[in-house]
Order: sequence, then C-alpha cells, then structure tokens
Amino acid sequence: MFDAKTAKKLVEVRDLKMHFPIRSGLLRRVTGAVKAVDGVSFDIFEGETLGLVGESGCGKSTCGRAVLRLYEPTSGSIKLDGEEIATAPFDKLRRLRPKMQMVFQDPQASLNPRMTVAGIIGEPLMEHTKLSEKERLDRIYQLMDAVGLNRDFANRYPHEFSGGQRQRIGIARALALNPKFIVCDEPIAALDVSIQAQVVNLLEELQDEFGLTYLFISHDLSMVRHIADRVAVMYLGKVVELGARDVLYDAPLHPYTEALLSAVPEPDPVSHDEANRIILQGDVPSPANPPQGCNFCTRCPKVMAICRQIDPEFREVKPGRFVACHLYNETRPETAGNAAQPTEA
Amino acid sequence: MLTYTIRRLILAIPTLLFISFIIFLIVKLSPSDPTAGLPLTIPPEVREQIRESLGVNDPVLVQYFKWLKLMVWDEPLHLIENATGWQVAPEGPRIISYQTRSPVMELIIQRLPQTLWVVGTSYIVGILIALPLGIISAYRQYSVFDQVGTFISMVGFSVPTFFTGVLFIVIFAVNLGWFPSVYDTTHEVTDWDSFVVQLKQIIMPVMVLGLYNASQISRYLRASMLDNLNQDYVRTARAKGLNERVVVLVHVLKNSMIPVVTVIALNVPAVFGGAIITEQVFKVNGIGQLLIIAIQSGDVPVVQTVSFIFAVLIVLFSLIADLLYGVLDPRIRYD
Amino acid sequence: MKKRYSLLLGAAALALAPAAAMAERGSSGHLNIIYWQAPSTLNPYLSGGTKEVESASLILESMARFDQDGNMVPWLASEIPTIENGGVSEDLTSITWTIGDGITWSDGTPLTPADFIFTWQYCTHPEGGCAQASSYDGVTNVEAVGDNQVRVTFGAPTPFPYTAFVGSESPVIQAAQFADCLGARAPECTDANFGPIGTGPFVVDEFRPNDVIEMSANPNFRFPDRPYFATVTFKGGGDATAAARSVCETGEFDYAWNLQIDPTILAQMEAQGRCNVVTAFGTSVERLHLNQTNPDPALGDIRSTAEAGPHPFLTDPIVGQAMSMAIDRALITEIGYGAGGQPTCNVLPAPELYASTANDACLVQDIPGAIALLDGAGIVDTDGDGIREYNGIPLRVLYQTSTNAVRQDTQALIKQWWAEIGIDAELRNIDASVFFGGDPASPDTFQKFYADIEMYTNNFAGVDPQAYMANWACDEWPGPDTQWQGSNIQRFCMEEYDALIEELAGTADLQERGRIAREMNDMLVQSYSIIPLVHRGGVSAHAVTLEGILMSDWDSELWNIMDWRRAQ
Repeated sequence: MFDAKTAKKLVEVRDLKMHFPIRSGLLRRVTGAVKAVDGVSFDIFEGETLGLVGESGCGKSTCGRAVLRLYEPTSGSIKLDGEEIATAPFDKLRRLRPKMQMVFQDPQASLNPRMTVAGIIGEPLMEHTKLSEKERLDRIYQLMDAVGLNRDFANRYPHEFSGGQRQRIGIARALALNPKFIVCDEPIAALDVSIQAQVVNLLEELQDEFGLTYLFISHDLSMVRHIADRVAVMYLGKVVELGARDVLYDAPLHPYTEALLSAVPEPDPVSHDEANRIILQGDVPSPANPPQGCNFCTRCPKVMAICRQIDPEFREVKPGRFVACHLYNETRPETAGNAAQPTEA
Repeated sequence: MLTYTIRRLILAIPTLLFISFIIFLIVKLSPSDPTAGLPLTIPPEVREQIRESLGVNDPVLVQYFKWLKLMVWDEPLHLIENATGWQVAPEGPRIISYQTRSPVMELIIQRLPQTLWVVGTSYIVGILIALPLGIISAYRQYSVFDQVGTFISMVGFSVPTFFTGVLFIVIFAVNLGWFPSVYDTTHEVTDWDSFVVQLKQIIMPVMVLGLYNASQISRYLRASMLDNLNQDYVRTARAKGLNERVVVLVHVLKNSMIPVVTVIALNVPAVFGGAIITEQVFKVNGIGQLLIIAIQSGDVPVVQTVSFIFAVLIVLFSLIADLLYGVLDPRIRYD
Repeated sequence: MKKRYSLLLGAAALALAPAAAMAERGSSGHLNIIYWQAPSTLNPYLSGGTKEVESASLILESMARFDQDGNMVPWLASEIPTIENGGVSEDLTSITWTIGDGITWSDGTPLTPADFIFTWQYCTHPEGGCAQASSYDGVTNVEAVGDNQVRVTFGAPTPFPYTAFVGSESPVIQAAQFADCLGARAPECTDANFGPIGTGPFVVDEFRPNDVIEMSANPNFRFPDRPYFATVTFKGGGDATAAARSVCETGEFDYAWNLQIDPTILAQMEAQGRCNVVTAFGTSVERLHLNQTNPDPALGDIRSTAEAGPHPFLTDPIVGQAMSMAIDRALITEIGYGAGGQPTCNVLPAPELYASTANDACLVQDIPGAIALLDGAGIVDTDGDGIREYNGIPLRVLYQTSTNAVRQDTQALIKQWWAEIGIDAELRNIDASVFFGGDPASPDTFQKFYADIEMYTNNFAGVDPQAYMANWACDEWPGPDTQWQGSNIQRFCMEEYDALIEELAGTADLQERGRIAREMNDMLVQSYSIIPLVHRGGVSAHAVTLEGILMSDWDSELWNIMDWRRAQ
C-alpha cells in the first residue's frame, strides 16, 4: 500500500481556476463566467490514486480536463514532474502529452467513429515515436493484450464493440505512449455494473504493472473507496476536503463530506436504515453566481453567521488532512495564514 | 452493399414510372398550347393542322405510352449508338420537340456541356469556398470571421440570383467592361488565350451561383463541425498530443463531412438541371434555359423528358448519397 | 477565336484598301446580332414565329420582298408580275414569276421552277402542319413554264396574288434537300431543318436550337460583292433589356431586335452614343375590343355567344364613342411605347393607301365632350353613385388584357379616364400564354372573351389587308361550334360590311381597293365595337458603326442584310 510520506510529488496543482465566459446580447459580449473550477489546489504522489468525488456539476470533470490542459485554464499552476503545464507553449505541451493521458467517461463518444482500433491506438505512436510500421503494429498488439482485447479485432471500428471493450480500447490508447499520469474521468460510469468491476480491476492491474499514477474522478463513493489511496471532495468548483481514504471515510470533517458519505448505501439494510442519514436541503447554487462566503453555506446543516460572510480557507487541519470549513478555524485558529498551501508533512 | 444497391434500383422503377406519369399529367393538363407563341397572323385552321401534326390531339394515355416506350427503350439505344457507334438504334420516331421538330435528346446533349461547365464549376467553386469558410467559422465560433462569414452566407442565401446576376452585369460588364455580359456558347478552348476568354465569360455566372452554393454548404459544414468539436473523441485526439491542425482537419472534419457530403451529393442533380434564372440572365443556353423556354412555349415532350431525367438523377443521387453514407460512416452497413 | 481572327483580317483589309473595301464581299468582318427570343429552327414552315422567320431570312429567300415603305422589291424574280406586263392573268386567277438569271443555291446547283413547285407541295401537305399554309391559300396549282418561270394558279380570281413565294414567310426551299421530308416525315429531317440550303447571302455553319446560329457569307451568292459581312453570329436568349444593354452599353452586339422596354430606359441607353434606336411601323395596332354580345357570368356557357344576346350597353355606339373620346392616346403612347408607338384612330393604319383620315378627331382627348355626349343621350347617373346607368343598368365593365407592364399601365390610365366620365372599369390581367393560348377548355382566352372589354395588339402579314379585313365578317364569330376559333373577336356583324368584303375580293384596281378598305376601316371604327389606341412599330437598336439598315415591318427586319456594312 502506498505511503504518502515517502513518495515523490508527481502532480502539483495550485489555485487552478477554470472559468467559462457567458456571452449574451446582440454582440455576444462576455457578461459573466461559469466558475466551474474556482481555486483548486492538490498534489498527487507518484504511484498513488487520488480519488476526486462530488456531485454532478461540481466541476470535477472540468478539473480533470484542465489538469491535462484539455481546457485553457483561467489561472493557476499545474506541474507534472516539475514541468509547468498550465502556461506551457503549444509545442512544449505537445511533447509533454505522452506523459499524461486520459480515460474518458463515454467510451463510445471518446473514440473517433471513423477510425479502426489499430488506428486509434496507433495514432499517438505515429505522432510521437519513430516506430516502423511493423514495430507499431507489435506495440498495438501488445497494448491490446495488456487490456485484454483480442488481437483479431484490430481492424474493427469502435461501434462493433461492447461498452466494456470500448473502454479497454480507450485505456489501451491512453497507455500507448507509456504515460506516468492518467486522469480517469468517470471511466466506469457508462458501463454495466457487471463490467464496472472488470474495468476497475484492469486499471488496478495496469497501475501495478506500469507504475501509473491516477486521478480517479467519480461520483461513485464506493468505487473510490475501493480504488483510491487518498480522496478529494469537490463542491461547487472547490475542493472542500482532502485526506487519506480510510480516515476521510471513517471520520469526515467537512459537513458536506459527512452528508455525502451518509448517502452511501450500506450493505446491511438494517444499519443502512438506522444510519443517521443527513438529507441536504435545497439545490446546488449556480456556478455562475455562487453565494457569498462559503459555497456550501446555503445548504450546510451546521451553518454559522461567519459562513455567510467569509469564504473559509482550504488548509491542513491535521497532518495530511485538508479542509475548508470555519468549524475547524475555531478549533485551530493559529494555522490560519498558510491555508491554501498544503504543506509537506 | 451490392444487394442493397440492386434492391434500391429495382424499387426505383415503380417510383420513376409513377413520377413520370404524374409529370405527364401535370404538363398535359395545364393549359398550354404549342401554337400559342405564334403570331396572331397565323389563322386558327393552320394552328389546328400544326397541333394535329404534333400529335397533341391524341388521347392522353396514348401519348403517355408512346412517350414512355420511346423514353425507356428507343432513346437509350440511340444514346448507345451515339456513344459507341454500334448500329443498335431502332428506325422510327424519336421524342420530338414541338418547337424545333428535332429529337429532344439531341437538344439535351447539345446543352449539357454549357450547363456542366457553368453550373458544375460554380458548384465546385462553391464547395471550395464553403470548406474553409465552414471550418474556420466553426472553429472560431462567434469570432469576427464567423460573424462576417455568417453575414455573407445569409446575403448569398437570401439575395436571389436574378438580382446578383444583373448587379454583376451592371458593375463588371457595363461599368467596368471587364467581362462580357453575354455568354458565347460556341466558344472552344484550344489554347491559353481562348482559355482566358472562357474564364472571363464564365466568371460572373460561376461567382453568382458559387456564392449561393457556398452559403448553403458552409452553413451545413459549420453546424456539423460545431456538433463534432465538442465530442469527447476530439478531446481524446488532443490528449494524444496531436497537432491542432490534425485534430481539426483529420478528426473533426472527417466526421463532420459525413452529413455534408450527403447534402453535396443530393444537390448534384441540380447541377444537371442548371440554374434556370442564372442561365437566362447570362444567356448561358443550357438545360435550365431549355426547360424554361419549353415551358413557355408549351413544348410538352421537352418539359416531360427533361423533368423525367431530373427525376432519374434525383433517385440515383439519393441512392449514391445513401451509399456514400455507408462508405464514410463505418457505423452504417447495408446488408 | 476564329471569328475574331477574321474580324482582324477584315479590319486590316479596311485599313489597307479603304477605297476597295466597300466593294468586297466579307470586307466588314463579323456581325453580331442578338434576338432575345432564340430561334428554335431555321425552317420557317415548321414554326411561324417571328424569330424563326427572320433568322431564316438570311438564308432562304422568296420571289419578292417588301422594303421599308411596304413596296414590293423583286428579289429572286427578275421583275414584279403585273397585269400590265402580262405576269398576272386578266382574270386574276394566275401569276407567272420569272426567276432571275444565274441564281444558284449555296451548294452551287441552279435554282429551278421545280424548287418552287416542291415548296408549295411541302407546305400544303395535309400531314405537315405547315405554319405558313395561309400563304398558299387559294392556290390550286404551281407549275413550271419553260425552265425559268413559275406559274401560280388560284381557284378564284385573286386581286392580290402576291402571297405565295412573297415575303420572308414563304421562301423557297431546295427540293433536293427536303425531298424526303414531306408531311409527317418533316421532323425527321433535323439536319435540313437546322441547316437549310438557301439562295440568300449567308450559309449556316452551326445551328444550336434556341441558342445561337453561326453563319458565313454564301460563296455562291448572286451578287459577287455582297454580303459585306463575312460572318454572322445570331445569338438568342435573355430578355429585351439585356439585349438593348449588350448593344447600347457594352457594345458586344451590333444589332438587337424587338426592344419592347421602358422607353425612358431605352432613351437613356441611346444617349450614351453607342447605338441608334430604329423603328419601323407596319400594321400592328393596340386596340380595345368592346364585346357586342352579353358576357354576363349568369349566362354560364352561352355567354359571349350569339345565344347570349346583345350586350346591354356596349352595342350602343354612343357609349363606345364616349369611351374613346375620354382616352388620351398621346399620353398612353408616351408612357408605354416611346418611339415604338404612334397614337392612332384606325384599325388599318397602313400602308398609306389604306389609312383613313376620317377618324382623326379621336387623337385629342375630350372628356367634357364625352360627358356632354352621354348626358345628351340620356345616359346619366340616376342613383348618385357616380356611375351612369343605361336603361337602369350601371355602366360597369370588366376590362381584361394579358399580363404585361405596359398594358397594366394603360389599363390604369384608361380606368381613371373612364371614371371621370362615369364609367366604372374592373381590371383583370391574364398570363399571355393562357390569354393567347387558344385552349378551348380555358375560360380566359381572348377568343372566349368572357369580359366586356379586352385589349391586345393584332396585325397582318404582308401589305394587303383583304384577308385581315375579312376577319370581321359575321360568320367569323368565335363560338363553341368552332372550338372558339374565329377572328371576329368583338362579335361585330353588319350586312354592309360583309358586302364590302365581297367587293374587295373582286376588285383588282389598287386605288379602288384602297377606297374600299378605308370604308371598311371607318365602318368598323365608327361602330365603336373596336377602339384603336396605338399604332405600334418594331423597335430595334444597332451599333452606330453599322450602316445600311433599312428597317421594314412589312417583311423580315433583316431583309436587306446583304447591304449592311461596318462604317469606317
């Protein structure tokens, strides 16, 4: 199992913001912004899996895409292996691409329908390596073997496969250039339950085999608990809590994490029914117009006056545990000041 | 795919028979008289004799079956004889135009080159303009380029060709004197100079029609590109670290072209149909002008035959569009 | 390129030998003619349209043609046969033409009487559908007399025998070329119909139906120095305005035909100095027909027939006269026709011999006079609605014509003038192809005349009005029994008039014929069943560099193209 204290940081994200402009009126002027990701900071250590959880629309997928700079981030810094990604010029970025890859949620939509499996997996090889045709084909077969796809299918089109097989193609494609870091954006959400476990197991096997680092984005808390080493919880564009998996699941600090975890079904129906479930009132506010103060103040069961005034800082309240909540500012006021910077523990 | 094609072709036969009969009835039952265009000095008895000699007074069904037999049997054989020199054409009557008293097919064959030259070129020019316009408009949605492109497309789409055509003539032929206002259909391109002459006389009709075609196709392409640009596979392509040019031109464009190619194929019959108004404005005496004059002078065999050929082309190109769809999109298979 | 090359050659020839240039065939180079309606065949017997007849007149010729004044000019004949020179028989039943010396077809073979005999057989073949059959009306035989004379025999005395083989409508065609094209086989002879061999100044190089004709000078033409133009492009298509523009503004063409466009636009174009507008007046008259039968829709199928009875008020000449007096013909002409029209009060305005002067009072508009006339006749407004009543029936008329901008302007003006004298007109216009279409099933043809008043132009070919004036015989009424064929459109009938038709048909003396025709014209006009408005002429434009044009409305306006030349 992974040990956070000794590992090297592979990915460092600092105050990442991804705002999408809202255009309106006759001349389509920018009149506002959807703050999909609004000041997010976290680290991912080499070889670990960081789970990123949150409700639909909280910005976790945007965050994942922005980390790989599939969007142009509004501001902030992203470092992969010490190299800045957020502001890298296009050519440099292209050279960095092989190191970081993505597995998408919808395996159907993420594969070009007019390319064969071999074409899809082989394209990055053509772009970034100087392999001969024969070598490339060998590599394609090798990758197909690795993800458990029959080699005979190399010349088929994506629509000829089942959902699980398509996701394997997507994974093989992501692995083609030996990446270090893979963002898995809800990789199992579109799959049948019976297939989900297979794909997750495949991801774990590959992690062991190739020493991969994952940012695993999911709204499925059980699955994250299964696969992740550490977990970050997002709400309305911000990370509200981050910590090692077991600690976070056993003793959530942030009221939102608490509410989220209380909604996870328990295998035992009695304990599930008896569990003290926290039902959140109201809807998630619009990311175009977040509330003043803490983003969660409109729905928080433990809301205080200060929450409606001041946005709580995200800071380390215990070693390896970060939270953005005024509840913990009262208990640990002295740590205020270096909150947004998770320090090395 | 072959069985599919054959099945579609067989199914097309009753469709075309039905269409031909409907066209025939519409043309026949509308008040038209091949002698109507003659001067009033020609007395009624003579008009009656002319009508009689043209067979206008035969029963409608007799006329229809006479025409149909010639259209599907005799005329194709004549075409084969013309093309190959084999002596296969039957003796006897052909489909004769009321106006010229000559075989309708010869008229069509004579006019096809002009139409293909002018309308065909304009179609190609239109596509060539539409491709970059649609791609850049979609890629830079809401940019100044996109706004200007949208404006020009709307103008090209909504301003009728009889207006732009006359406007072009007044500006470029009358005021500037750059291009001729009357198309010389007998001009032959034999060397560089004659090519320049051809270029000068073709440029105005081609631009008028090309603008219209470009507007239409670029709109389709833009919409289709926008659909595809937001797809995950585009993100995949970017994540692969591909060049942006490759992402847009290979991944996005290839997928966006599927519906656009269909639209382009479906519009090809219109190229053969010519552009009635533009041909009239620039005196490019092609198929469109043949049709309109035939309509005006009640020349039923010409109207009937030209319309029927259009119908055949439309049926044929819908099939081609469907087959192209199958070729371009691996998700579609005809078995 | 080829033709441009020869144009340059022509120009070079002009520059090098200016004195000799005029005398040489082909010295003027290339001529561009545009007809905005394109010829569909070069056989005028298969299509009676003006465009076909006139384009064919460059190739095919007849015994005689009519000059710009309507005078006969011997063409293939050596002279015009008359009773005096023995060419027309005393009993008026035959005419003998003598073919001029040394005339050959363009293929070099001699023109013989057999060609004329064949031409007659060709056009009168019962299955041929010959469009010019009326040129051979009454002809019972055509025979050769010797080896250079052709005798045309008529079944009855024919005081004006210059119909067959005269004018561009009945040219001679080559027997050898058309021998296999008689009757029903006429359409099979596409090559002959599109490229007839003729005796005229030009031969066909290429004919594209409804598009363009390329022609070059006939090497075997009987005048060794003519035509002056070496080649001709005869382009068709487009519209009248575009044709005018190509001559007067861009200079691409030298001659444009039939420019029925807004006179002010044409005047502006002419003012640019590149073209001259030329006009020629024949016999076309824009006129109103006043229905003499009852067109009341309540009568159903019998309306506008003899069965329907007389019109409730238009049979009274007083009403028609007042309507005529209220019209300002000069204004209509100025607005709609410009140089292409002259106000007229006669249905037979030309040639001069036949033009009456008895009705010229109508040339001046007289609304007070019209009001006084109606008041005097007791046709007054009795119910105060501004419209007069005739025996209790209000003077409301349905006034129809074909769809055409000039005609709609004219309708609007006339409606206004009639309103001023207390007559209400409802206007209607019908698409020309329907109005003139003659479809017996359509209620909207001019022959059916399901209206009170209708307006259009008619004329006659050639210079002799006998057949034309016979249009208004009592037995010429259109009606269901004749499939609505019939030329007496307004359903006029007078015994005296029918008697004059008989008299004209039996009179050979020209002056006497003139008197009778004028009397018939006056009788028609003064019945006020017909109100002549405008004497219309052909309007064409030619480049200022073109010389020798003598535009004639009595024949093809290209009748003397062999004399056309490029000015130096």
